[in-house]
Amino acid sequence: MSDERHSSERPSSERNGERDSQLSAMFDDELPAAECELLARRLVRDDALRAQWSRYSMIGAALRAERGIALHDRVATRVQATISQEVTYDNAADTASVRAVTAPGEVLRRAASRRWTRLAKPMFGAGIAASVAAASILFLREGRDTQPEILAANPLAAVATSTPESIVVTNAPAPAQLAANRSSNGEPSVYTTPSPTSQSSIVPPARLANYVVAHSEYSGPLSRRMALLGLVGTDSSGEPVATPDTDDPNAAAGAPPRAQ
Amino acid sequence: MTTEESDLVLVKRVQRGDKSAFDLLVRKYQHKVVKLVLRYVRNPAEAEDIAQEAFIKAYRALPQFRGDSAFYTWMYRIAINTAKNSLASRDRSPIAYDLDLTDPEESHSVQTRLQDPDTPEGMALTEEIRGIVNSAIEGLPEELKTAIVLRELDGLSYEEIAAAMECPVGTVRSRIFRAREAIDKRLREVFEGGLGRTEEMV
Repeated sequence: MSDERHSSERPSSERNGERDSQLSAMFDDELPAAECELLARRLVRDDALRAQWSRYSMIGAALRAERGIALHDRVATRVQATISQEVTYDNAADTASVRAVTAPGEVLRRAASRRWTRLAKPMFGAGIAASVAAASILFLREGRDTQPEILAANPLAAVATSTPESIVVTNAPAPAQLAANRSSNGEPSVYTTPSPTSQSSIVPPARLANYVVAHSEYSGPLSRRMALLGLVGTDSSGEPVATPDTDDPNAAAGAPPRAQ
Repeated sequence: MTTEESDLVLVKRVQRGDKSAFDLLVRKYQHKVVKLVLRYVRNPAEAEDIAQEAFIKAYRALPQFRGDSAFYTWMYRIAINTAKNSLASRDRSPIAYDLDLTDPEESHSVQTRLQDPDTPEGMALTEEIRGIVNSAIEGLPEELKTAIVLRELDGLSYEEIAAAMECPVGTVRSRIFRAREAIDKRLREVFEGGLGRTEEMV
């Protein structure tokens, strides 16, 4: 700041001929870029030099006899006052680059995006943590879930393939229906996400299965795999564990399961 | 030598967050832009308002400016669009005063009287500056006078002036600078402290 004050108070006798010559050439867009950059740095902090720049503009306007144009800096003063309240293009991270920076609106959008990212990160982490917790619960409950009465109450279903994205939790169809629902390549044609059931004996696996399915998109592949292993592991017979679907009136009414 | 480089340097500085660099661009082109806008609105005060609006629009849009064209060319388009939009919005606005403005000449005259904020002092100052500049240029050596006239009035590049005057480009640069210095010296003598004092007076 002291440098700026000093330069703005510089008497005209101290004027630098070479620098003023550069200023004149820069005003005419005839100064090489490297010299322009150096002079521009000086210009923005040197009031006297900036005033000289303005007078060069004024001289040109006067020479061109531009009628109706007041030879003053009123427009510049007003614009300066307005933009001093505008958003500064603060792209310190991008200063090495000469690419265009964000507009004020874009700055605000980016700021909002950064805020959302900051919020989303903990949420995403919480999703992963919940998935891991679910998998842990599954492992802990493994022994109890394999009780015979639960197995008896479980209708047939298909659960699990090797990839988490292809989790299949369907209502237990009859073998014939199951075969009919499968396409030629063996993939089921109907994928149904089960809803909670009122049957207490099968509530834990159903809830857990629902939980895993519902959170599969938020959890990582490893945690999903662990959760799926836990689900599959609840069936000691090695058969896929079935989950009832309350959309099925038989299941909702507690009808006996069909044999596979 | 390169053309349009200095404007681009200033533009890049603005894009990096240096508002003062934009002030330099405004100072350089404000008179040209006002003159341009005066083709659409004949009231100087209104032209200044539109020029101001155009510069502010340019500042806000500057992040999108990639330097494919010269800054002034880009600014020129913004100014014209702003002037046209201003005219269109003015045409849509209801007339708030009870006068017969069907005659364009009368309408312009009334608007000029109503809107022109220029004080007599300000206009006198402008005329004084013009007088100083014209007087100074008349007193210049012929080669300096020719060089500055070819640049400012005819808009020739240094290279074109060099060809016209049959001298090196460096000589052209020197002549134009010396011409400006001579004129500027007269202006400084009058205003004692440069443009800051001019602004205060206005």
